[in-house]
Amino acid sequence: MILTDREIQIGIERGSILIEPRPLEVAYSSTSVDLTLDPIITELIQKKSAIKKVIDPTDPDFDAEENMAEVSKIHDISGTYYDIPPNNLHLGWTAERVDLRHDPKLAARVEGKSSLARLGLAVHMTAPTIHAGFNGRIRWEIVNFGTMPIRVRPGMRICQLVFEQTLGTPQKGYHGQFVNQTVQPITKKT
Amino acid sequence: MKLRVKKIRDGMHPSETVVAIPTSEGDERLTVDKNALGENTTLEIGWPLRQKDNLVLIELPRETQSGAWRVWVPRDALEESMAAA
Repeated sequence: MILTDREIQIGIERGSILIEPRPLEVAYSSTSVDLTLDPIITELIQKKSAIKKVIDPTDPDFDAEENMAEVSKIHDISGTYYDIPPNNLHLGWTAERVDLRHDPKLAARVEGKSSLARLGLAVHMTAPTIHAGFNGRIRWEIVNFGTMPIRVRPGMRICQLVFEQTLGTPQKGYHGQFVNQTVQPITKKT
Repeated sequence: MKLRVKKIRDGMHPSETVVAIPTSEGDERLTVDKNALGENTTLEIGWPLRQKDNLVLIELPRETQSGAWRVWVPRDALEESMAAA
């Protein structure tokens, strides 16, 4: 079940949804709330070299943050703008911190905005789910699929967050269900 | 319930940090918001899902760098006692 603007605002007032800083009134639509671009953007750089590298996420020593740092460049665009070139992966973050820890039956999906999508800008790739219990800034995978650079600025509304109420409570939301149990499915609610 | 974790390094964004999750199969790396870390470098993980021997199955608030959501961790890595649950 998707939450309406009113239900999102009630959730924020009650503290079951935390978005900091709070979205402006104009950030809401009937079934979503827009989030904005943080000034930090990471650009993945393809260095020209005869020595070819490959990313192996199955390698036991794979460290995404460390390895990606080797092939990326961080841009702080505070007070300015950034032109996202076509066909190059960038990582971005929401300026807002989202905290869903206070209601185990709330999840969300991050989606692009049609106004930007029509220009070719995608803000996530195959991973839109914000799971129940999430806490932090939402990280985007930004790709410009258009033919010309697209200019972005900090604070611009760049994605929308759609809240969903789960059917039932996730297992980790159950209080003390497992105590003194051996490995077996949880079937009843305390 | 809170899980004791260990900071490894800063994340790619100034708000993030990378922590080591002590699982039964070795450490898993997880990127979290710095605000998500509680006192004594703990991470809120809700309520554990299963237990066997001295291990408990938990769900992490984010996907680890290897793609895991649920991991078995040592029971004594939890901040609050199981009895208190």
